[in-house]
Amino acid sequence: MTSAGCVVVGGGPAGLAAARAAARYGVRVLLVDDNPELGGQYYRRMPAGFGVAGHHAFGRESDEGQALVTEVRALGVEMRLGAVAWGIFDRRIVAIATGDATERVGAETIVLAPGAYDRPVPFPGWTLPGVFTAGGAQNLMKGYGVLPGRRVLVAGSGPLLLVVAHAVMRGGANVVAVCEAAPLAGLWRYAHRLLPHLNFVQRGYRYQQDLRNAGIPFLTGHVIRRALGPAEVTGAVVSPCASDWTPLGGGERTYDVDAVVVGYGFVSSLELGRLAGCEHRWDAGLGGWVPVRNRDMESTVPDVFIAGDGAGTAGAAVALEEGHLAGLAVANRLGRLAGREYSREASRARGRLLHLGGFRRVMDEVFRFGPGLAALADGETTLCRCEEVTHAEALEAVREGATHVNEVKAWTRVGMGRCQGRMCGPALALQVARATSRPIGEVGVFTPRPPARPVPLLALAREIGGEVQ
Amino acid sequence: MIHGDARMAGIERGPMVTMLVDGGVVVAYEGESVAAALLASGRRTTRATSRTGESRGYFCGMGVCQDCLVTVDERPNARACMTPVRDGLRVHTQRGLGEWGGSR
Repeated sequence: MTSAGCVVVGGGPAGLAAARAAARYGVRVLLVDDNPELGGQYYRRMPAGFGVAGHHAFGRESDEGQALVTEVRALGVEMRLGAVAWGIFDRRIVAIATGDATERVGAETIVLAPGAYDRPVPFPGWTLPGVFTAGGAQNLMKGYGVLPGRRVLVAGSGPLLLVVAHAVMRGGANVVAVCEAAPLAGLWRYAHRLLPHLNFVQRGYRYQQDLRNAGIPFLTGHVIRRALGPAEVTGAVVSPCASDWTPLGGGERTYDVDAVVVGYGFVSSLELGRLAGCEHRWDAGLGGWVPVRNRDMESTVPDVFIAGDGAGTAGAAVALEEGHLAGLAVANRLGRLAGREYSREASRARGRLLHLGGFRRVMDEVFRFGPGLAALADGETTLCRCEEVTHAEALEAVREGATHVNEVKAWTRVGMGRCQGRMCGPALALQVARATSRPIGEVGVFTPRPPARPVPLLALAREIGGEVQ
Repeated sequence: MIHGDARMAGIERGPMVTMLVDGGVVVAYEGESVAAALLASGRRTTRATSRTGESRGYFCGMGVCQDCLVTVDERPNARACMTPVRDGLRVHTQRGLGEWGGSR
């Protein structure tokens, strides 16, 4: 078994910042990421050899990300790219699969920076090819310069909608409308709290102006009701919604589109933290489960730290600071960074986090997830995309007495497929809560099992040894 | 399937490669993912599901949802969004869990 002072899982802003901070003080760091390139989703950039008029010009994030990646590489951080961390055993042993090989690394400390993914919200037609998550559409455009379609509806909630719609428009496709579920009324009430964060506000405002100037309708208080098309997307229907995002009858509009981009914010990837035994809690403000952490980003399991969007989504700026804090704490824990210097460095990062937290809380309030979206799905609507379990099948289990998401899983196979319940878990919790009239936080969360991601049997067989055919 | 190339104009791309998709030639650029190249060529469906046979394709774009599975070089269940293109790559859309050996 190999060993490392610190295994960092995730090569986005939080993981890179953690690896940098720890490696700077001489910690032997091993960084694991599923992608072939470092940077995560936020720093995703086009491949080498791509460019605009001879320049590798892909915006500020990309430059910032490249600088960080270069620094981390220069510090001699060991990498496992295109590799999945699929289990954590005995608290400190991380199982990593790279292609058809798997290895176990004994880690003195672990930093989990697994990030987040688009909150899946089922509606009729959401499985049709041509329906993209906002993050998926963004990756396609930002990572490869490929458009999701020619005529695109953008729907959901949150600042990313404007970013994606803007990119689609700039990329040369038609955006038929942007549907924002939140009413966005009375935003002036937040003016004084947003004042210290004018740079973020200005960017959002500019995107909205550009869309307006292009004649693209920005429909607040609207949701996508269904995607149309027998085999691939050919259209979409939207309608107004109530303040809790319950779709309302009447006022429906139908658009001919070849792509639908849907983003209702993000949910954290929790499985590795849960496999490590870290305690989690339901956070109504964030609309999801988050790990319990102390101010050093340490989870309830000693020497296991969790940073960035994987601990409640707050964006890249927060992720950088949290990762930095976790990396410093690791260096301190391993005796590489003395208490006084640690305190000084950490309190600087905490100060910056405090500042960023102000903006984060306004965003969480303005775009607070509306549980009324549970009413979008009908009985035939797929809930579990992998195992093809419908809402009617899952709700029948609830009628027969299931009260916890794990019971519905055992009875119907919902959540047992290849994505390991990442896609259906949040949506199932919403449905169980609604059907049993309880808060979402009380219906539980799927228990993850190793392998946390699909791993080839060949890799496991080779690890055991013997002859493999 | 939608028509034309969905690649944005004005971007210089890397060296051109070709892959075979269900036996047909699809042009791609080094550094692209299989999913990006498929979508760029208008191919949105990557597989049919086991139970109902309905069409699926690229959804999350970051390796999480497992919906854009394809058979690559006779080996099924590769995530198209996480698989880089390569010259001569043989890609097959697949049914259910797919079959080892390429044809479906």
